[in-house]
Amino acid sequence: MFNLKKIKQNAPAVPILVWTGILVGIPLIYVVVLSFLSRDSLGNIVFEFTWENYKRIFDPVYLKVFYNSFLLAVLTGLITLLIGYPVAYFTANLEANRRSLAMGLIILPFWISSLLRVYGWIILLGNNGLINSLLLKFKIIDKPLTMMYNFGTVLVGTAYMLIPFMIVALYNSIDKLDRSLLEASYDLGASKWKTFFKITLPLTMPGIAGGFTLVFIPALGLFFISDLLGGGKNIFLGNLINAQIKGRNRPLAAAFSVGMIILVLLVLYIYTRITKNKKEGLFL
Amino acid sequence: MISTKIKKILVLTFCAVFFVFAFVGCGGKDNGNKQINLMTWGGDFIPREIINQFEEETGIKVNYKEVTSNEEMQSLLEANPDQYDLAVVTDYMVDILRQNGYLEKLDKGKIPNFANINPVYQGNYYDENDEYSIPYAVSISFLLVNPEGVAALGADPITSYKDLWQEELKDSIVLIDWSVEVIGLVLKSLGYEYNETDPVKVAEAKEKLFELKDNIVRFETNTPEDSLISGEAVAGFMYSNQAVKGQAADPKLQPVFPEEGMPIYIDCFVMSKDAPNKDNAYQFLNFLLEPEISAKISELTNFSNANKAAEEFLPEDFKNNPMLNFPDEVIKNTSFYIGVAEVYEEYEHIYSEFKMQF
Repeated sequence: MFNLKKIKQNAPAVPILVWTGILVGIPLIYVVVLSFLSRDSLGNIVFEFTWENYKRIFDPVYLKVFYNSFLLAVLTGLITLLIGYPVAYFTANLEANRRSLAMGLIILPFWISSLLRVYGWIILLGNNGLINSLLLKFKIIDKPLTMMYNFGTVLVGTAYMLIPFMIVALYNSIDKLDRSLLEASYDLGASKWKTFFKITLPLTMPGIAGGFTLVFIPALGLFFISDLLGGGKNIFLGNLINAQIKGRNRPLAAAFSVGMIILVLLVLYIYTRITKNKKEGLFL
Repeated sequence: MISTKIKKILVLTFCAVFFVFAFVGCGGKDNGNKQINLMTWGGDFIPREIINQFEEETGIKVNYKEVTSNEEMQSLLEANPDQYDLAVVTDYMVDILRQNGYLEKLDKGKIPNFANINPVYQGNYYDENDEYSIPYAVSISFLLVNPEGVAALGADPITSYKDLWQEELKDSIVLIDWSVEVIGLVLKSLGYEYNETDPVKVAEAKEKLFELKDNIVRFETNTPEDSLISGEAVAGFMYSNQAVKGQAADPKLQPVFPEEGMPIYIDCFVMSKDAPNKDNAYQFLNFLLEPEISAKISELTNFSNANKAAEEFLPEDFKNNPMLNFPDEVIKNTSFYIGVAEVYEEYEHIYSEFKMQF
């Protein structure tokens, strides 16, 4: 049962396992326990079991917030996929040294604070922003276009923020693609498009699923983008949780968080189903 | 080339050091007793210049821990009451910490300068007999208005909350993004008090709130003044220090103190029950209440001062600015948000439903 060689092999992994166990496991258990607790009139947590927090989640208003967040995350996934796939495809087909340059450029925005990058969008899209100023200057419009503070702006910001994750995941998948299969497909008379849909797309499915998962999960929880670009007029799960913590209602915040974790687990489950037997994916 | 053995040792040493730091933390509390451990908001809330002066004069080192919320201070203080001497928390948190039993009753004999505190700011709900807290920074919220912008939209001048409902002000108002503030504003406009619990009055406020929807261009807590400076809004409900910034950037912006009443927030010094350096902390508190020092702090932070004796040391433009040195009649028309926890779930629900309308 105890294979000494195996234990020796795995020993270096123990500290990191203990470390993540402490830093991820304990807070997670804490959140779940917290979601069943009550609070007193001062907002202190009281160790008294209750279902009340979960009952509140199933309120039509809050369910709609769940739906809004889900919609935002799915749309973000789709948009980043549509834009990211061609980018990843062309990057993977570049020569080696150009390829690293391209990947470097894709990663580059991460060097700048995400908050600053969001402010960049405000400078671009605001009523006195760059786009409006130019359009007004060239007399294309006579009144500034309202581009800020709605769902669309939040979507653009979220997609922009998360697209590098999608591109990197797709890139890895496309890079591994065996080009001789494509040649074989062409040799057998398939058109470019047919090859793409019959060979490339199915074989890069794990990358698509991986990228989608990597984008979907953070998109559920980002709240500062909707605060800044959405003008606080759209609420998503992140905002709801943030507001409950601000109001010292941590048990309800924890219940919302558990709801969000369940949504994430659902997506992860679908993800593992897609990548199963493909011997490729985020967890391999 | 470094041999693998040395590499291994280096890695192990690094790990060991890392673990030690991670678990021990950087409390540094037995560094003699010439120090105090202070925690409060960052961003020079207690200006470095003032702290340096105190350290030079007394030789007591001030360890300043920056935090981002009252709740963070609460959990730090309640988890390690013997690690902190002083904290500056907002009024409602004084009440919570006091009721939870984490605060030291202050020995006023050691703070002779307490006599300088303006009586207007004494005996408030969170500390009726001024036993636990010393007011440090006072702020209120009110409307900052661009009168030209309001006129250009064809609306009547704004003098009260009620005027915000004018149809002409479509997409022109910015509000602090918090349910308690926004619903509080609506309650005041109806002539009710903050944090009303009467379901009939709350329902009325909800209906009235929904009518305000079309006029709101944006909810923003941190920089609402930007919306007025950029012109996307002509009126905004914001904190006094933000209004000051707004007017500094654009002199045509004017404060409006709504006749229906305004919220007030007082950040107060409190002392931990198990404070390790109590005497030093008293010395620090007394120092901050010196009239000149207090005036200097106000000047540096743009927060209003609770120190009556400091007034004569304030620069003229500060003294004459109603957004910095609140007139007594404005202060009399303010009230605190009391009992937030009680109404919060209901208000948040209304607020979420409201936002779903956009």
